[in-house]
Amino acid sequence: MDIPWAKIHGASTHLPLALAGCSWLFDMAGFALVRRPTGQQLNLVGYWTMLLAGLGTFPAVASGLLMTKGDVLDHDLVLFHHLFVWPAFVLLVGLATWRAIVGATTTQRRAFCYYLAVSFTAAVLVAGAGYWGGEMLLAN
Amino acid sequence: MNREIKALGAAVCVSAASLSGMLVFAQVVRNKARATSHEQPADESWQLWKPEPTPDVIAKGGKLFLNSCAHCHGADARGDEGPDLHDLQMSDRHIVNVIKKGIKGEMPSFAKKHSDAEIAELLAYVRSLKDDSTPANDPP
Repeated sequence: MDIPWAKIHGASTHLPLALAGCSWLFDMAGFALVRRPTGQQLNLVGYWTMLLAGLGTFPAVASGLLMTKGDVLDHDLVLFHHLFVWPAFVLLVGLATWRAIVGATTTQRRAFCYYLAVSFTAAVLVAGAGYWGGEMLLAN
Repeated sequence: MNREIKALGAAVCVSAASLSGMLVFAQVVRNKARATSHEQPADESWQLWKPEPTPDVIAKGGKLFLNSCAHCHGADARGDEGPDLHDLQMSDRHIVNVIKKGIKGEMPSFAKKHSDAEIAELLAYVRSLKDDSTPANDPP
């Protein structure tokens, strides 16, 4: 039986794509409202969404590799897609690991500022990967 | 701050391990795909049988075509379930590879059904299929 990896890849990529952006938004809001109880709750949502985004990258990347029969760079639109995918994958896994250890909130504001900057970069990269993935669909 | 720094170290390690794991997985998928692909070069024994494409050889190839290929490619090779075979823009070697190894999920292998000599005749027939509508063949 042929497994429809293209459909599985399309379905699985939207999880980290949406969660990475949402996590950054919730964490930013929590960072801005740090002195209020709502701020901690927003950070808690940011924490779980980042953990799920980190976990969600594995099926997304693995299904992409199975779909393309193991291409890690390739050429043209696929190359552009991959140039965003790999840095986004590394950053999301790293961010989820860091957050899993540190917890939903941290008293270290500066460390959390760096985290927010990196998670914004990861969200942009994963959005870029999604954009080039969509361009591939349109080209075909 | 110690916890944040330790978490950073762990994040870098987990990211690097995940990236390495995915690259190894990609290599495994690539190797498996190569091993089962029709694009793997077939042995070159058919070249020993490769005849001059005389009308007699082409006619023999045409008979083989009607028996083995016409129900998918059409009796006139203009395509039906399979593609149109006129003016194929691919090498002899690639055509023979496809005939001998098939295409997974699309076309069966004919290596057991036809000898190398017969496949060479089929190749001669397929090569004789010219698209009359191409500009080069159009009358001035």
